[in-house]
Amino acid sequence: MPLTLSIAAYFVVAALIGLAGTRLRHALIPLALAPFAAQLIVVATAASNPADFETISWLPSLGVELVIRVNDLTLVLTSVVATIGFLIVAYSARYFTDAPKRAKFLGLMVFFSGGMAGLVAADDLFALFLFWEVTTVASYLLIGFDDQKAAARAAAVQAVLVTSVGGLAMLGGFVLLSISAGTASISAIVAAPPEGTTATVALVLILLGAFTKSAQFPFHFWLPGAMAAPTPASAYLHSATMVKAGIVLLLLLAPGFASEPVWAVTVTTVGLITMTLGAVQAMRQHDLKLLLAHGTVSQLGFMVALIGAGLTGAALAVLVAHAAFKATLFLVVGIIDKKTGTRDIRHLSGIRWSSPVLAGVAATAAISMAGIPPVLGFVSKEAAFDAVIADGEWILLAVAGVASALTVAYTARFWWGAFEEQPGGVDVAHLGQIDRPLIAPPALLAVASIVFGILPGGLESAVIAATADKVKLVLWPGFKPALAVSAAAIAGGALIHLISHRTWTARTWWSRLIEPTRLPPAQNVYSGSVRLLNRTADAVTGIVQNGSLPVYLAVILTTIFSVTAVTWLVAGDATPDWRFTNGAPEVILAVIAIATAIATTRAKRRMAAALLLGAVGFAVAGIYIAFGAPDLALTQLLIETFTVALFAFVLSRLPRRFGAEPASLSRSVRLAVAGLAGAFVTMAALLATSVSPDRDVATFYAENAEPAGGRNIVNVILTDFRALDTLGEITVLAAAAIGIGALVATNRRRNRTEEAS
Amino acid sequence: MTTVATLALAIPLFGAAFSLIALRNLLAQRIVSIAASVGLVAVSGYLLFAVDADGAVAVAVGGWEAPFGIALVADRLAVLLLFTAAVALLAVLVYAVSQRSTDEELRGFHSVYQMLATGVALSLLTGDLFTLFVAFEIMLTASYVLLTYRAGGEQTRATISYVVIGLVASALLLTTIALIYAVAGTVNIADLTTRLDAVPAGLRSGLGWMLFLVFGIKAAIFPLFFWLPDSYPVAATPVTALFAGLLTKIGVYAIVRTQTLLFPSDGPVTFMLVIAGLTMVVGVLGAIAQKDIKRILSFHIVSQIGYMIMGLGFFTVAGVAAAIVFIVHQIIVKASLFLVGGLVETSEGTGAIDEVNGVAKRSPLIAALFLLAAFSLAGFPPLSGFVGKLALVQAGFLAERWVVVGVSLFASLLTLFSMSKIWSGVFWGEPAEAPKERPARGMTAATAALVLVTLIVALAGEPLVAYAERAASDLLEPGVYRTLVIGAAP
Repeated sequence: MPLTLSIAAYFVVAALIGLAGTRLRHALIPLALAPFAAQLIVVATAASNPADFETISWLPSLGVELVIRVNDLTLVLTSVVATIGFLIVAYSARYFTDAPKRAKFLGLMVFFSGGMAGLVAADDLFALFLFWEVTTVASYLLIGFDDQKAAARAAAVQAVLVTSVGGLAMLGGFVLLSISAGTASISAIVAAPPEGTTATVALVLILLGAFTKSAQFPFHFWLPGAMAAPTPASAYLHSATMVKAGIVLLLLLAPGFASEPVWAVTVTTVGLITMTLGAVQAMRQHDLKLLLAHGTVSQLGFMVALIGAGLTGAALAVLVAHAAFKATLFLVVGIIDKKTGTRDIRHLSGIRWSSPVLAGVAATAAISMAGIPPVLGFVSKEAAFDAVIADGEWILLAVAGVASALTVAYTARFWWGAFEEQPGGVDVAHLGQIDRPLIAPPALLAVASIVFGILPGGLESAVIAATADKVKLVLWPGFKPALAVSAAAIAGGALIHLISHRTWTARTWWSRLIEPTRLPPAQNVYSGSVRLLNRTADAVTGIVQNGSLPVYLAVILTTIFSVTAVTWLVAGDATPDWRFTNGAPEVILAVIAIATAIATTRAKRRMAAALLLGAVGFAVAGIYIAFGAPDLALTQLLIETFTVALFAFVLSRLPRRFGAEPASLSRSVRLAVAGLAGAFVTMAALLATSVSPDRDVATFYAENAEPAGGRNIVNVILTDFRALDTLGEITVLAAAAIGIGALVATNRRRNRTEEAS
Repeated sequence: MTTVATLALAIPLFGAAFSLIALRNLLAQRIVSIAASVGLVAVSGYLLFAVDADGAVAVAVGGWEAPFGIALVADRLAVLLLFTAAVALLAVLVYAVSQRSTDEELRGFHSVYQMLATGVALSLLTGDLFTLFVAFEIMLTASYVLLTYRAGGEQTRATISYVVIGLVASALLLTTIALIYAVAGTVNIADLTTRLDAVPAGLRSGLGWMLFLVFGIKAAIFPLFFWLPDSYPVAATPVTALFAGLLTKIGVYAIVRTQTLLFPSDGPVTFMLVIAGLTMVVGVLGAIAQKDIKRILSFHIVSQIGYMIMGLGFFTVAGVAAAIVFIVHQIIVKASLFLVGGLVETSEGTGAIDEVNGVAKRSPLIAALFLLAAFSLAGFPPLSGFVGKLALVQAGFLAERWVVVGVSLFASLLTLFSMSKIWSGVFWGEPAEAPKERPARGMTAATAALVLVTLIVALAGEPLVAYAERAASDLLEPGVYRTLVIGAAP
């Protein structure tokens, strides 16, 4: 199982880096690169013989198998993930100059890559979920990488919470889907998709997971926040790979569910909204990373909309193209940020002349983003338009056309903002020497964009094999409607740019136009929910956790007694035994017990209360005698006498009168709770005695006490029949004795230290 | 095998006795105590496999046959939890000894610790309702003592709360058992399985709820848990870890044992599911409102109890099995988290999340241990919490109880939220100038070992789930239990 092992290799390497850290020294970078290289080799060799499954049994009882699918789709996605990962690791090796930070970052990167590699290859719903959550955790730690910044910490929490909302819904969806399909194998489910309400609900829940992960409206807001991550992480996680996880999931499920109405409508609509919203938002950003992030949101929306329309081949082509150019652009921004200390387009000026190589790399990626020939971005977008037209998806075509024009415009904004000279911009023309290891990875990706743009044939056959969807990837499509759409988009974008550019620092008609979308309501919903949650938590906890022992006791007693009593009263299947008494002595004793008990609660002096309590005990002992249990009565009398004596000792050290009444519960509430308790126990006793069970256990004790060696049944029970209980109670006494000893010792020492001081 | 089952009780009891005899000799005490804990792990480990292979065993203590004498019953559920508890007891003991709490050790800590172990073992092994009461008494009295080692000032108040609630719960338990004896004429659980059939259904189910709620005080379910977050955080770390890992779970065990065997239901029990949902949500909301590691964790104990009650409430083999898996996971993970919290307190001097910063930078190992345990608690795969959560969600959907499953998923989101609060607050950021005190190696090692166990629980998820399913089907077939202890029903 080479692919499985190559995925496992990431985690092994990540653990090694985590444990050894900076001690790896020069071995760190080769070690971090190794799993990516290994996986690319595995992919290259597997390509000759795809369509295979590698299975590791994990929780078969719960229907969970770690199944890795080796097919064309896996190979395409794995190649993208591993190639870009390799380049970004190489880049980060130079990007981070601080050794501990570099080691920490690379460890997390490799860990994340393992999750991503597993995610694109998993064929089991739960295996997919496992890797999905690995990427969530890694993303959380990477966004919070600069953990001394409060903004980074907040963005990390926001990202993990938003994606977890979807993740948990998705888990629910996966369980439902696997129950209704009878299997968790994605290929089996897609081959015979389950139908019915359960499956539909499952699907909606799963879509929720995909949308949150791939930053679709209304969950898109976490992605710009995630730009708090170090730039190499943003390049990899938040543009090229992780945010594609939702797209991958949709691609996997599309063959089985594309015909479901709920799927087609939801997926397409959400995609279209996201596509437009992201592009509009990108137009008002000043931070290059944020501009790219909103662009990513828009592109992800495009892919989602394509999948919703059933055009999986085109979606995959756009995915590959986007991964290449967006990673390039992020890496370029990383270099600019590192060299100039800013990413703000209002400050940057004139880099084009200072670093032609960097500008060339960026330009290639930018024209790919804008969909201008002869690069991959154009080829894939053309293919998408072509497929949309062939399918007659006119709404999709219109929205995608507008969004493409906006894409051209924000690409221009990116280019002019980052590279051209600007009036009022701070001149940062002297960029200095850029290290080769920093410029090489984006340069290679840019070259790839050109190569695949000019020679798209290999990619075309791979995409067709992977998605079983028709898609035409050609550099020159001929004079067809799709070309006209592209041309119109480019022209429209250029026009928007001409009107809006040079004015982006001022409040212009453009900024006023997009003002309503300035504060994305979704972001407010998030922060509002968190505030509400915190407030609710405080309020609820304030109520239930008020720290008053009388209140706790009252709640406990009331709950237990009322639940039980209501059960009994509702059922009403036991008739109380209303026989009032067996004779006068009982009545007298009961009256004494009740009277002394009431008197105890009313006593003002502690000593009086102790004595009255003793009197209650004596009356109870009397009742034992009345029922013919003199041995029990004797025990009771001894205990009561002893207790009263003990009280007398202890009370000599306390004030004579009780203190003020506890204020936490009013007298009437306490009276009510006590009344309920008394009424309940009376009722319970009446009901319990109405049943006359087989008394063979009691009879056995009576008959076997003598043979066992004693006349007093109670004694024989304690020392023989149920001697283990007695042993247990002795242990209780021992524990109590130790506790008292410890308390006395503590007290003595405290007194000593007080005297000393 | 009956001898071995008895040994599981005798070892901690003798451990308690001998360490009391050696009260003045620190080294001897430690040797005895650790030996007893290792012995319990070994014996319960043997039982874990032997019971599964050769079937459960019942011991008639003192030679008096059930239902007249007391029966000890080592079935799958009992030995699985006994083994888990033994592992937690050993790890926490090593942590406590490494913490150099010499003072407490010379005042009987080891003896009381082993008494608590005895109480735990007896609770799990007894087949007798009254002996279960006695076992709770041992456990609770030991816990009162452990809590009072730190008595004084703020702690005294919390301790008094804990003790008073404990005593009231004991009195209520005794009352309930007396009522059950009055209507059934026996306290032997196996015997009760058939004798309760003669009791009118309403009367029986009222008694069932009473027993459920009384054990629920100890298990800390809503609305009976309020005492827990007030008292647990004030104790010393090993004590809190032990309470968090074991005591509430023994309460849940008692609920599972009695509800399945004595008050069986044909389908999901809505009342239990409502209680479960409220416990999860109110508990986790409490956690969100806190600003101290141990207080946050204490509320999580409560919240997670809800998951177990939910599994039981489905009243299916899958549901009860999921609850059992969840108990095992919680015993280990909860103890681990409190030990990690203790490491932070030792090294930083406080566990207040507003005051501590940058622990990840200063002590990456502590951070890694916390991260693993916290994500396990939040149910992230492939950690043990995920196994439990997945099992519960599956069982819930199979039982078609959508709402409570939805609530449980929502609660796990909130769990993640409050865990990320600890992580952001305590582990991220710049550390203060100097650590207060480096935690001793043994403390870190014990914590790491326990976290490692949670990983093993996850990797060995399959055997655990399968074992729990066998245990659950034993429970839902009360005839099995009765036949084992008394013989086939007449």
